[in-house]
Amino acid sequence: MIDLDRLIEQANELAPLPASTVRLAEIVGHANCDINDVAELIAFDQALTVKLLRAANSAASASALPVGTVKEAVTRMGTAKVLALAVASGAKPFLQARVPAYGLDEGALWRHSVAAAVAAETAPAFCQEEVPPEAFTAALLHDIGKLVMGRFLSPEILGFIGQAQEVDHLCQLEAESLLLKVHHGELGGLIAQHWKLPPRVVQGIIYHHNPEQGLDVICDLTYLADQVAKRIEAGLDGHNVDLSICPEVAERLGLTPKTLNDFGPIAASRYLQVSRRYNAV
Amino acid sequence: MNTADFDYVRRLVREQAAIVLEPGKEYLVEARLHTLARKENFGSLDDLLAQLQNGPQNGLHRKVVDAMTTNETSFFRDIHPFEALRKCILPQLLARQGSERQLNVWCGAASTGQEPYSFLMLIQEHFPELFAWDFKFIATDLCAEVLDRARAGRFSQLEVNRGLPARLLVKYFSPRGTEWEISEDLRRRVIFSEVNLVKDWPWLPPLDIVFLRNVLIYFSVESKKTILAKIRRLLRPGGYLLLGGTETTFNLDDAFERVVFDKTTCYRVKPA
Repeated sequence: MIDLDRLIEQANELAPLPASTVRLAEIVGHANCDINDVAELIAFDQALTVKLLRAANSAASASALPVGTVKEAVTRMGTAKVLALAVASGAKPFLQARVPAYGLDEGALWRHSVAAAVAAETAPAFCQEEVPPEAFTAALLHDIGKLVMGRFLSPEILGFIGQAQEVDHLCQLEAESLLLKVHHGELGGLIAQHWKLPPRVVQGIIYHHNPEQGLDVICDLTYLADQVAKRIEAGLDGHNVDLSICPEVAERLGLTPKTLNDFGPIAASRYLQVSRRYNAV
Repeated sequence: MNTADFDYVRRLVREQAAIVLEPGKEYLVEARLHTLARKENFGSLDDLLAQLQNGPQNGLHRKVVDAMTTNETSFFRDIHPFEALRKCILPQLLARQGSERQLNVWCGAASTGQEPYSFLMLIQEHFPELFAWDFKFIATDLCAEVLDRARAGRFSQLEVNRGLPARLLVKYFSPRGTEWEISEDLRRRVIFSEVNLVKDWPWLPPLDIVFLRNVLIYFSVESKKTILAKIRRLLRPGGYLLLGGTETTFNLDDAFERVVFDKTTCYRVKPA
C-alpha cells in the first residue's frame, strides 16, 4: 500500500512555481498589498506582462479604453486575478499531464481546471454571498493533488478503492481517506502550501469535496466550481445533466434554483470563449 | 484474501477489540495488512498471515489489531460539538461546578491527540479560569502507538491542515522540522493512558464530559450496551456524553436522554 510519508514528500518535491509567481503570491497575500509593487514585479517578467495585458484587454475585462501599461492592467483586473493568471501560467505544464489512475488523458485535467476557474469567475453574477478574489486560483488548482496521488495509485490500490466504493458506498474521496489516510484535496493543499500560495487558496483546495468542514466561503465556491466544471464537460460530451449541488452550499452562497439553472449554461458559454481564445480545449 | 484468513483476522479483532468486521470487508483487511506486512518486513501478506496463525504470540497479533482500528481524527472534528461545548455545555457546567471548582473530562478514543488538544485550546481561548480549578483531562486509546504520538504532541503539516485554524496554529504550536509541536502548557494538562473499552477499565473519576465520538460504530450491540452502562455509572448528574454524528444511545441504553444544542446532539443520564 501507499507510504504516506513518501506521498507527502512527493507533494513537497513538486517543482516550484516560477520565482516571480511565488514573490507575487507573497505580495498579494500581504494585508497592505501595494499595486505599485505588483506592477513593478510583473514588469520584470516579459511573458507574464504580455499575458496580463492581453487578459486586461480581452472581452471579459473590456472597457472603452484599452489598457497600455502593467499598472493599468493590475488596477483593472485586481491583484487576485493577476496572481491567478500567473499561477495558471506556472501550473499549466503540471496540469496538462496524463493521470491515468483517475482516467485523465493528457490535457484533461487542464481542461477541467480551466472550466472550474471559469465557473469561479462567473460565480459573482449569481451568488448573493461575496466571492473572495482567491476563488479563481483555488478553483484552477482544486485537483492538483491528483497529480501526485495518481503516481501512487497502483492497479491493486485502485482495486481496493473500487471495492470500498462498492461495498461501503463511499465516494472516491472517502475511499482514499479510509485506505490511504489522505485524499487528493489534502495533497493538493500541501502542494499549494509548498508553492506558498495564500492560505485561503489552500483552504479551498483542501475542502473542495467536503466544503462544510472548511468553514470558509471559498470552500463552498471551489466545490461549486468543480461541480459546474463537471457539468460543462458533460455538456460538451453531449450529456446534458442538471447542475446538482448540496443544498447547504446553495443556501450559504445565496443560490436559488433559478440562478443555479442559469449558472451552468452561462459558465459553459464563457468556457467555450476562453477555450477558443487560449486553446484550452 | 481467502475466507479462512479473513475469518481468522475478524475473530482476532473481535476478541481483542470487539471491533466487528462484516463480510465484504476483506478489501479493508487486505489493504491495512499489506501496509503492516511491509512495515514488519514480511515478504508478502501471506507470510504475515501464516506467521500470525502459526507463530508464537510475539506482539504481531496486537499489531494486527492496531492496524485494523480506524484512527481517523482531526482538530475540531465536525466543529458543531465544539460550538455546543463553547456556547452551552461548558457555561452550564462551570455554573454548576462553580462551588466545587472541579471538572473531569474523559476522551475514550483519543487517537493521535487532536480531539483532546482541540478541547484544551477551546478552554484556553474561552474559559481559561478552568485551568485554575481541579481540572482533569484523561485521554485514552486502545492503541499504544497512537497514544505515544498524542503524548508527543507533534503533528505533520497534513494533520494541522485538518480543521486547525491558522490563528490557533500560530498561537499554540511551534515548528519542529517538518512538524508542529503543541505547547508544553497544553500538553502537560492531559493524562494519557492505554484503555481497551471492552476490557476492564482503570479507575476513572466522576466525569462531567465524555467524548466517545465515532467509536461505538465499530462495536457489536452487546459491546455498545456494556460500554454505555459503564459510562452511565461514571457520569456525574448533569454530565454530558458526546457521540459521533451517526451514533446514538437509542435502543441501547434508555437511561440516557438526548439533549440537542443547535446542530449537536449530546446525551446525559435521565434524572432519577
